[in-house]
Amino acid sequence: MKRVPETEQQPADRMLADVPLEEEVVLVRIDVAGEDVEPLLERGIVPGCRLCPVRHAPAGGPTVYRVDGGLVALRKETASCLCVRSSLEAAGVLDSN
Amino acid sequence: MNVGTGSTARNRGSAQGVGVDKGTPLVAVVGPPNAGKSTLFNHLTGLRQRVANYPGVTVERRCGTVNLSAGPVELIDLPGVHGLSARSLDQMVTRDVLLGEFEGDRQPDAIVLVLDATRLESHLMVAEPVLGLGIPTLVVLTMADELGRREGALRCSGLSKELGVEVALVNARDVATLQPVRVFLEALHTGGEEVRACPIVTVAEHAEGRGGGRVLPMIDLFAERRQRARELGRSAGFQAPRLSRTTQRLDALVLHRFWGPLVFAGVVALVFQSIFAWAVPLMDGTEAAIAASGNYLAAALPESWFRSLLLDGVWAGVGSVMVFLPQILILFFFIAILEDSGYMARAAVIADRLMHRVGLQGKSFLPLLSAYACAVPAIMSARTVEDERDRIATIFVAPFMTCSARLPVYALLIAAFIPAQPLLGPFFGTRAAVLTGLYLMGVMAAIVTAALLKRTLLRGRSAPFVMELPPYRLPTARSILTRLLDRTKVFLRRVGKIIMAVTVVLWALTQFPRTPGGETPPIGDSALGQVGQVIEPAIEPLGFDWRIGIGLVTSLAAREVIVGTLGTIYGVESEDEEAFELQAALQQDLDLGAAVGLLVFFVFALQCMSTVAVMRRETGGWRWPTLQFCYMLVLAYAGAWVANAIL
Repeated sequence: MKRVPETEQQPADRMLADVPLEEEVVLVRIDVAGEDVEPLLERGIVPGCRLCPVRHAPAGGPTVYRVDGGLVALRKETASCLCVRSSLEAAGVLDSN
Repeated sequence: MNVGTGSTARNRGSAQGVGVDKGTPLVAVVGPPNAGKSTLFNHLTGLRQRVANYPGVTVERRCGTVNLSAGPVELIDLPGVHGLSARSLDQMVTRDVLLGEFEGDRQPDAIVLVLDATRLESHLMVAEPVLGLGIPTLVVLTMADELGRREGALRCSGLSKELGVEVALVNARDVATLQPVRVFLEALHTGGEEVRACPIVTVAEHAEGRGGGRVLPMIDLFAERRQRARELGRSAGFQAPRLSRTTQRLDALVLHRFWGPLVFAGVVALVFQSIFAWAVPLMDGTEAAIAASGNYLAAALPESWFRSLLLDGVWAGVGSVMVFLPQILILFFFIAILEDSGYMARAAVIADRLMHRVGLQGKSFLPLLSAYACAVPAIMSARTVEDERDRIATIFVAPFMTCSARLPVYALLIAAFIPAQPLLGPFFGTRAAVLTGLYLMGVMAAIVTAALLKRTLLRGRSAPFVMELPPYRLPTARSILTRLLDRTKVFLRRVGKIIMAVTVVLWALTQFPRTPGGETPPIGDSALGQVGQVIEPAIEPLGFDWRIGIGLVTSLAAREVIVGTLGTIYGVESEDEEAFELQAALQQDLDLGAAVGLLVFFVFALQCMSTVAVMRRETGGWRWPTLQFCYMLVLAYAGAWVANAIL
């Protein structure tokens, strides 16, 4: 997957791993290479979906996210490849789409 | 649509693979993992089928017949999948069956697509590639009760209109709600209007997909599917349910940074305690029943070769293995509860950090836990590990986990050679310490091997760990019972075929060549003895004699066979059968070093042809099983040699 140059990124864009618990965000980009992206896509983690971290597993384990009324656990290294935007800021962009 | 015509047009293969005649409509049950597919299949067919909350537990394709007033319909329960891209084995099987390309099977005449109504938007993403196949489809939305309870909403009629196929909202655990599914299946015979192919046009196919359409990058394709799913949801008035409060409360406990690992350790301890302590009375009872039935037969049958075959061969050999059925069932009882309740997925999340450090991942936890019962189902359940390198590593190390077949060997040798002395009060003595040590040795071997593999043959970046956590559900007695019956059937088939065959062949080899007087030969002169003496030079450095050598060869069929084999050898050799005791006989033949060596040999060696066979099937060739067998044999031989040398 092609990385978007820094200059083109919105200033509010963050990585999912940096989002605090209970803050809902919208996925804007996935920086995971090749076929590795498919397990994410198949579970509804696609650009435009809403994600909300709800719980960290013990001892630095995966974090549990709310996605579409379900729960999905991701490691920090995977969450660090998912570029997100605050759901309020993204609302305008999504609605215009 | 006329179903009869449609099915005839699509009958490209034979029906041999699913055991139905060509006139019986064939219906595939498809859907994402955890959507309630297997529960629906169970209710419709009444067949035994594993149902679980752990994503992807349906690792085998199962078939069953639904008898309807219009005639029978054959159902195939396909593995739970999120798509048809053939990225994993499960997806490959599902895609091939649906396309009619699965060897020996014909293409299904219709599809029952099972989706979770509480996760409608993401599950509808699977609908598009399935409906795009053009096969008559019924969309079944399960979890109707949960949708209502969690304040979600949905109009089936709206969705049906948009998709162009029938849509039924059901509760897969409630038979009364399944009537629309039966109506659809009936219509396959009557040609009713419920059966129609989806008229929608798929938005696109990605580069690796099949069929026409625009070629899109994978992310764009899924984003388009997702958008389409969202529009479908809107038109059906879908209101996403709130997260279950019970699930939130339980997760706050089981994923808590302090309590979570304690609950995890408690669950693992409970499982082991049940296998090693609570199973004992049941095992003693089974043993007593086998002994009593043997004594009854001994008294009832006249002295003959048949009596000898039945009692010394079949009863002694098969009986020594049957004893382990309660233990295996208790383990699978716990696994079924953990899976069906939804805890197993949380356990995988808790275990992920630790597993990741040694080169595995959280999803390896279930296969490795199952391997304490038997490596064969464990290797099959490793299909849930999507990353190929992690899956192979999990399969490779699973046989190091101490399966229940090793227990009879450990129990026999520990009782014969390790004196019972207390170490930590009355509950933990020398024998328990040795047994624990053998288990730990297996775990250590698995950790070192996994780390070694991930740094050499399976080097590479791991795929993302994406674990779905299903809501907690109360396991049903029906689901647990059907799974236990299934395990019993598998175990008895194994005992009936492999172990009985080995014991009968062994018995026969002890009977020939006959002495000049027509008598049974001394065991050392028998065909079996001669085989053992050929092996002896190779195992002499380990302190083993020809009798152990025969045991090692026969236990290749299954580890526990060595107990029956030694029982047969020493039993036949013994002049006074009443006074015969296997432990005492072993104490005469083995010293402490050789006995510990034999224990170590069994910790490491891959003495199980069923495991090798299933490994070949799951890895698609002989490369990995050959490497695994040789690697474990070298470890076993070296370990036994060291034990014999230093003790």
